[in-house]
Amino acid sequence: MPRVTIDNQAVEVPEGATILDAAKQLGIEIPTLCHLDGCRPNASCMVCVVRINGRADLSPSCATPVVDGMVIESETEAVHEARRTALELLLSDHSGDCLAPCVNGCPAHMDISSMNRLIAADDLRGAIEVVKADIPLPATLGRICPAPCEPSCRRAAVGGSVAICKLKQYVADQDLETDAAYVPTCEPHCGKSVAVVGAGPSGLSAAYFLLRAGVDVDVFDRNTLPGGALRYEIPPERLPRDVLNGEIDVIRRMGARFHADEALGAEISLEQLQLAYDAVVIATGGVDTDLLGHMGLETTRQGLRINPESFGTNLEGVFAAGGAVRPSKLAIRSIAEGKAVAGCVVQYLEGKDIQRPDEVGFNVRLGKLTAEQLTGWFESASREARHEPENPVQGLDAEAAREEAMRCLHCECGAQEDCRLREQAAKYQANPKRFSGGIGRPVSLRVEHPFVLYEPGKCIACGLCVQIAERDREALGLTFVGRGFNVHIDAPSGARLDEALRVKAQECAEACPTGALSLRAGVAISEPR
Amino acid sequence: MSVAIDAKFVDELVTQHGHGPEALIPVLQAIQDRYHYLPAEVLTHLSDVTAITPAAITGVSTFYQQFRHRPAGEHRIRVCHGTACHVKGSQQVEDAIRRHLNIADDEDTDPSMKFTVERVACVGCCSLAPVVQVDDATYGHLTYREAPAAVDDFVGGHHGEHGIHIDDAIHAEAELAANGKTPHVGEVHVSLDTCCLTSRADRVYRALRQSTKKLHLPVRVKRVGCMGLCQHGPTVAVTTGEGQRATYVGLGDESVDEVLWRHFQPRNLTQRVRRTAAHWLDRLLIGPVEDPLHAASAARRDPITVGIEPRQVRIASEHYGRLDPLDLDEYIASGGFEGLRKALESNDSEAVITTVEQSGLRGRGGGGFPSGIKWRRVHEASGDRKYVICNGDEGDPGAFMDRTLAESFPYRVLEGMMIAAYAVGADEGVFYVRHEYPLAVRRLRRAIETCENAGWLGDNIQGSGFSFKSRLVEGAGAFICGEETALIASIEGQRGVPRLRPPYPAQSGLWGQPTLVNNVETLANVPWIVRHGAEAYSAIGTETSKGTKVFALAGKVRRSGLIEIPLGMTLRQIVDELGGGVPGGKALKAVQIGGPSGGCIPATLADTPVDYEALKQIGAIMGSGGLIVLDEDDCMVDIARYFLQFTQTESCGKCTFCRIGTRRMLEILTRLCEGKASRRDLDELETLARQVAAASICGLGRTAPNPVLTTLKYFRHEYEAHLQGRCPSGKCQSLIKYEVNDRCIGCTLCAQHCPTDAIGMTPLFRHVIDDATCIRCDVCRQVCPAEAISVH
Repeated sequence: MPRVTIDNQAVEVPEGATILDAAKQLGIEIPTLCHLDGCRPNASCMVCVVRINGRADLSPSCATPVVDGMVIESETEAVHEARRTALELLLSDHSGDCLAPCVNGCPAHMDISSMNRLIAADDLRGAIEVVKADIPLPATLGRICPAPCEPSCRRAAVGGSVAICKLKQYVADQDLETDAAYVPTCEPHCGKSVAVVGAGPSGLSAAYFLLRAGVDVDVFDRNTLPGGALRYEIPPERLPRDVLNGEIDVIRRMGARFHADEALGAEISLEQLQLAYDAVVIATGGVDTDLLGHMGLETTRQGLRINPESFGTNLEGVFAAGGAVRPSKLAIRSIAEGKAVAGCVVQYLEGKDIQRPDEVGFNVRLGKLTAEQLTGWFESASREARHEPENPVQGLDAEAAREEAMRCLHCECGAQEDCRLREQAAKYQANPKRFSGGIGRPVSLRVEHPFVLYEPGKCIACGLCVQIAERDREALGLTFVGRGFNVHIDAPSGARLDEALRVKAQECAEACPTGALSLRAGVAISEPR
Repeated sequence: MSVAIDAKFVDELVTQHGHGPEALIPVLQAIQDRYHYLPAEVLTHLSDVTAITPAAITGVSTFYQQFRHRPAGEHRIRVCHGTACHVKGSQQVEDAIRRHLNIADDEDTDPSMKFTVERVACVGCCSLAPVVQVDDATYGHLTYREAPAAVDDFVGGHHGEHGIHIDDAIHAEAELAANGKTPHVGEVHVSLDTCCLTSRADRVYRALRQSTKKLHLPVRVKRVGCMGLCQHGPTVAVTTGEGQRATYVGLGDESVDEVLWRHFQPRNLTQRVRRTAAHWLDRLLIGPVEDPLHAASAARRDPITVGIEPRQVRIASEHYGRLDPLDLDEYIASGGFEGLRKALESNDSEAVITTVEQSGLRGRGGGGFPSGIKWRRVHEASGDRKYVICNGDEGDPGAFMDRTLAESFPYRVLEGMMIAAYAVGADEGVFYVRHEYPLAVRRLRRAIETCENAGWLGDNIQGSGFSFKSRLVEGAGAFICGEETALIASIEGQRGVPRLRPPYPAQSGLWGQPTLVNNVETLANVPWIVRHGAEAYSAIGTETSKGTKVFALAGKVRRSGLIEIPLGMTLRQIVDELGGGVPGGKALKAVQIGGPSGGCIPATLADTPVDYEALKQIGAIMGSGGLIVLDEDDCMVDIARYFLQFTQTESCGKCTFCRIGTRRMLEILTRLCEGKASRRDLDELETLARQVAAASICGLGRTAPNPVLTTLKYFRHEYEAHLQGRCPSGKCQSLIKYEVNDRCIGCTLCAQHCPTDAIGMTPLFRHVIDDATCIRCDVCRQVCPAEAISVH
């Protein structure tokens, strides 16, 4: 049995094993995209390169058999740099959006596409669950949010952007009108308690997400009723109070205890809160920096000084978010910060190193697209123009809402969660713009297959799908077309994808290391497994 | 467009080539020959009647450049963009032809579907650059002005049947009359290789045959191979009974009588006529001249062409210019098959391998791997059977050594293959030759056939007990197939995509069996080595680079052509002594060696010896033998861009670094040539070049950055100038401007010739160029009689 050394660790492997196999045995994780157990090595993506015996060149570990006595470097800076370059080169020719542009535009990064899909399917309960995964006060925001998500909507040029904000309001209103409004399930009690100071958008949001995580929450506010600026600055004609009360009531039902007329620095002191609670979140909106300074908190000209990575103030266990840090008129931003600070506080309570939750992760984005490039996405979308409610406060009616939701192009990547390119790019901190300014693959979406979508622009030409189709005797299968930079994968002789992939479409989509081949969301798969 | 399927035609092809995947490429080639493209209906029928899948047909037919899926014009115009053609203005030639034929920018065929214009990487006629092929006819030494005329010439039918058909005539005739076997007083050798045929040497050959008949001269007019004077064909050498030999270049068919009169004595000829003829013929006569009568006049003419031969050592090109490429008897009479006979008689394949090992022969295709070691590995490998492949996929732009050797010495290459096969234990050989080399393909095929008929191929060769058969496979237009694993994939009927080595072909090659892959020139050295012994060969050359190397010398030299030099000679000696230096009083700037895998060696390092290690040390490589000489007019950034453009087009697309990395490098180089690059671009170019070189799968990607890295190393100041928007050589079109200076005499020639009417007609007054309309085609500068066009 050959014996090799990887990063100074020796290992014995069976005859014929590859360097990748040997690394696996040692628990060294070498990244791969074009490799799949059970397929011949493609040796195409080159993100699995390693250095052998100190040579100047690098070899793909997936296809290089070990030779007794080999000395291999995997986790060194030079090797990582080459892997990063491979990823950056692939990204420069990977034309796609990880997230839909609307999700990038929304400070809370709500999953708009899923909401729309559920509204279109008349599953309003599913839709409110999606909405409330990121936004605790959707009915409220539906009436006051300036909708930063909408301008970048890919439908904007054809009949106007999808009325995302009004759809969210519709979902939330419908929920509030039912007898059993949706109350999110909370994690089992963790035994910790947090004081949230301020019951405005950021405080309510922090409380909501802390409760969801199983934390006990007391909310203190200087006013008699919770809601902060939402209640005391926005007129009831714009935001009916029963809507606001209804949404706050859900938070109360989740377990929040509201303490009215208790202002920080007057009725309650920071020291008291620090003693009584495991952590404190200051979410008071605009603050008196002098007053807070006297409490021992560091401030800036705008508000409290925090570590942007953790939302922590200079005092142990004291966090701050929203207008208390930086004045903002955008309620949705405060809500997003409330969620983020809750995430940090939970980590703090668990005794972890605090890292601000990354809502979007590694992300590639396309610029503006033409209607022609978007043809494929339009195939299953409604052609109608945007529906505007007659009365913005009342919102859309059921039929308009369903039709409006059907206008969504669902232009997000179908492989957001299982894209190996995205995962490795994040891990290696690849810069998707390193080679910007060059030509990349043309953008398009092929929808001819009943349950698999094909986005050739995202293909990295690894050939796994070609191999799977060939191995499993697809009558037509797939093939490489052309060569060099223009090589792409398609059905042979101009056939359609549904003719080419009759039995192995699902396996091809699951093997695809990017979102080039992906399973259609919510469509049943009809092939022999 | 729908095509009526000729099912019978396809069925016959399948009967001829087989049903399996390996039949695919030859069948597609035959279909394309017939229809000028691959009609979809025909391909569907093909997959219906064979075991070849639609996926294989689409994959393969879109991989190779030879195949097209759209209907083509009646005639095919191939504009060569090899290195020599590039530096001599092939782009202007192509533009001129496209304009002449009214072909839109995004089209390749003229509106009447008469002509399709294609770009080809290199047709291997570099000495005649720029070159254009119209169907079978090749036109050389074209300029933007003559190119349209060449197309018209073809349309007018003036070109006649193309030269390569001369072989058929000679062959038919030889069978009838055994030409030249009758007693004669002298021989006239006409070089009938591709270069000379482009210069219509076939007409000279026919005229000589007619004249000798007409004049009743007992003179044998003989087809021979390349004489190495490729730039100035047709080349004709006269050998008289007394052993004198005189060589003429650029001889037209109208002058053949004078040549015959001069050297032979027809009964009815007066002294006066002979003397007149002799006088002007001297101008075409060049050295080496063994006839003392003419030596003086030749030397007076051009001293550089005298005395070049002694500097060369002929091994691969032994008996160059004297052998009929296809005359087996003549080959045997001049030592041919002696090496093979010796090997077979030794009955010791081990000893043959040892001889090759000790000779120091290294792979001449570019890699320089010791041939003996390669042979031994195949010899020692176990397999059901073994193969020998001759790699004749000479794809480097600027290289035509292998083409010429195969055209001139097909039996020698075959003999080399047979010796190798005997040594390693193979019983089948395959020649893989580019389809762009039709004459080499024909001659090798005919040589195989002749040897089969004469008992030199087949079972129990010459009663030795050794059996061997050989066939030829034509490439279909893919440079990458010069890489041995890609080449093997191509022979097997697949896309020419390399795979990671190991395993090497020596362990697992063609059909998974041990396979020896040697290039044409390597094999052409083998018979000599076995005949003369290892010591004789290793006596030539340097410490680590033994023997000789054939080079295709082209570019900015006075005498380009094929040379064979002992290794160790310096680049300067090659350029100055064999090439006659740079023409036009210009200065040598660099020598590009090794094509797209090689580097640009600056004039200051021209004393570097041609030696594998010495070249590697300065960042270049020996390569397969392309040597392009560059002068002060050549922009090194443009040259780097040119080669990257080439490798980009030829990348198979398998691995990330080559597929995308070379494209990003090309984009940066293009920005540089357009004056739009930033310093960050330049840094990135260098970083990326090193990463592409380190992490690509095969030799193409690993060496593709060499032209960039060597020019960055030796000509960084030119890159710096481009960062500032200047092209010091005045080559990069976006960075230059044409202007009429005050020397203008108002002759209107420039205005008449300007293809875009950027110059208004102002007779007798100084003309003005509208910069916005000007396409920098350089036409005005070239037609101006008063040097009144300046380039800034």
